[in-house]
Amino acid sequence: MDLIILTQSLFNTDRMATFLISLIAIAIVLYTTYFRKNKKPFTIRKINGLQAVEDAIGRATEMARPLLYTPGWGGDIQRPTTIASMNILSFVAEKTAQYDCDLVFPTHDPIIMSVAQEVVKESYSRAGYPDRYKEDNISYVSSSQFGYAAAVDGIISRTKPASIFLLGTFEAESLILAETGTSINAIQIAGTDSTIQLSFFIVACDYTLIGEELFAASGYLSGNKSILASVQAQDIMKIMIAVFIVTAVIWATVESLSGTPLSYWWKF
Amino acid sequence: MNRQIPLIVCFSFGLIMFLQYFSNHTIARTMNLAILDYWQIIFAFTLVLGVVSYIKANMTKISRGIDRPYLIVGLLGMISMPIMALIWGIKADSPFMWMFENVQAPMASTVFALLAFFVASASFRGFRARSMQASILLGAALIILLSRSNLPIPYTEHLSEFADWIRNYPSMTARRAILIGIGLGSLTTSMRVILGIERTWLGGEK
Amino acid sequence: MDISTIIAGLLTLIIFSFLYKDNPFYKMAESLLIGVSIGYVLVITWSNTLMDMLFEPLFSNAELSLIIPLFLGLFMLGRFSDKTVALSRIPIAVMIGSGAGIAIPTMLYNRTIKQLTASVMPIFTESGGLNISGIVVIVGLLSTLAYFYFSREHKGKFGAFAKLGTYFLMIFFGTTFGYTVMSRMSTFIGRMEFLLSDFLKITQ
Repeated sequence: MDLIILTQSLFNTDRMATFLISLIAIAIVLYTTYFRKNKKPFTIRKINGLQAVEDAIGRATEMARPLLYTPGWGGDIQRPTTIASMNILSFVAEKTAQYDCDLVFPTHDPIIMSVAQEVVKESYSRAGYPDRYKEDNISYVSSSQFGYAAAVDGIISRTKPASIFLLGTFEAESLILAETGTSINAIQIAGTDSTIQLSFFIVACDYTLIGEELFAASGYLSGNKSILASVQAQDIMKIMIAVFIVTAVIWATVESLSGTPLSYWWKF
Repeated sequence: MNRQIPLIVCFSFGLIMFLQYFSNHTIARTMNLAILDYWQIIFAFTLVLGVVSYIKANMTKISRGIDRPYLIVGLLGMISMPIMALIWGIKADSPFMWMFENVQAPMASTVFALLAFFVASASFRGFRARSMQASILLGAALIILLSRSNLPIPYTEHLSEFADWIRNYPSMTARRAILIGIGLGSLTTSMRVILGIERTWLGGEK
Repeated sequence: MDISTIIAGLLTLIIFSFLYKDNPFYKMAESLLIGVSIGYVLVITWSNTLMDMLFEPLFSNAELSLIIPLFLGLFMLGRFSDKTVALSRIPIAVMIGSGAGIAIPTMLYNRTIKQLTASVMPIFTESGGLNISGIVVIVGLLSTLAYFYFSREHKGKFGAFAKLGTYFLMIFFGTTFGYTVMSRMSTFIGRMEFLLSDFLKITQ
């Protein structure tokens, strides 16, 4: 009896479906990452905006102006979107090191600042120009949402970056930054997982990475096999989702036409 | 070794947090809460790094004569808050809270209010129907705006119903697809982090 | 009029002046906002996190388990020196690892499973009539997912289907934009009410 109570409390059966689906998802990621390694290399489709990344860095170099990169106020380092943004930052930093272009990275979170310093420093070393790395360019500006917005706005208005990367989790500050960027004629590449802010980026920026595209972008830019493998895993899961949806809709329709109450087996 | 220990720590904490989600055992709940507290405590210490970075960056600019008076005002503002808190405390009627309510809060609210103008300027540029996609965006936005405005428009009720339908069906379904994609992207990124395949946060591969 | 309202009013006007162009008053106000907000976070974090969650329970109540986060926090300060910078990777690993661990099930459930199951509805009603909304939902979901499919170029029939997805995306962006414009306007009206009524006393 005690054992049963212990087992019950050890595993929350309400979350059984999520547990099983998590295991399936994990298995798919492991499969694409480790077992397909020797198969034909996986490539991903063209993503609008990503071809513009190098152009944006080149533009900043030609105009002898800095490039501004900020991950938004809405996320912290625990958020997968921030990790995806750090991946893109790594690529961008390597290029700015090669082109000797100033990279400015203001953030609201001191932990993101610490990680970004690590990422950029390593990218500069990898590019062969460790001496071009300027730690002060990666700075903490304020944890307050509009303090951060005002600070980044100030940097944009005064340093007039030629290119601006707004990649991460944004909230209401998104349009303040994007419009200030537009006012100085900067090329702007944005991407976020905040669904509401996406609409502002679409309207105000030159290129916008929509949700999942932000995660795929780092694989596309770096050509990193493990990231590409996870994009492939995401696509496999999407096919499974499509099959599930079509099956469930057909099932629901048949139940509806036959007059039986819907069983809702697809709700878990 | 410099990288192996963080990778082991990352894997262990990742596994703990993953597993605790599926348990309602007291130990799991306690661990979850403890780790969430760790996040806040680590942030608190890291804030010192942030503040030092802010002071250093401003001092460098001040010494070079860039925006000197403004940056001094900023530094004074920053230093004054802990001093006031130290002397008078942080109760509701303290000078510390006065600064927050009458200096920080109104300025922050006004920065937020600037959005009304930015929305207007973005609409002006963005709403030129340059393509089929832009026209659809414009059309959907206009329907919502008109349905929520007090303008004397014929068939207001029908417009309002149509706006609700757009929001609840075609718009909602696109939002769901975006969220599904974000969920999948987050899932695979998190897995790479836990398995140590994703090492950008450590500076990259090595 | 009291001094608080005058200061708040002046600062509000100065921030609005940015809309005309960057100017010395705005630069001063911006710098003050950043400085004061950092000072505020510093004090609140010291009081609510370090004192209430760490130092008091650790030193007054002898909750020894708190030694772990204390050291993790101190390791973060290792970044001040090149020799000890490696220590800071441990607390960062704790943050990133635990964040990733919790993100797998929560993101999967909230962002994927919940959205997926909410999209299922019959495409014919009980009376045999077409359920237009149901068809729109399934076509919209599948075509938008096709847009997010990265393994294949958007060409041919698949490309056309994915393009249909972009139209659904644009409807979503348009509706979100429309709704948010309304809320941003009301924020602006709120600030104007403060300026005109409390500060300038033009309206009551």
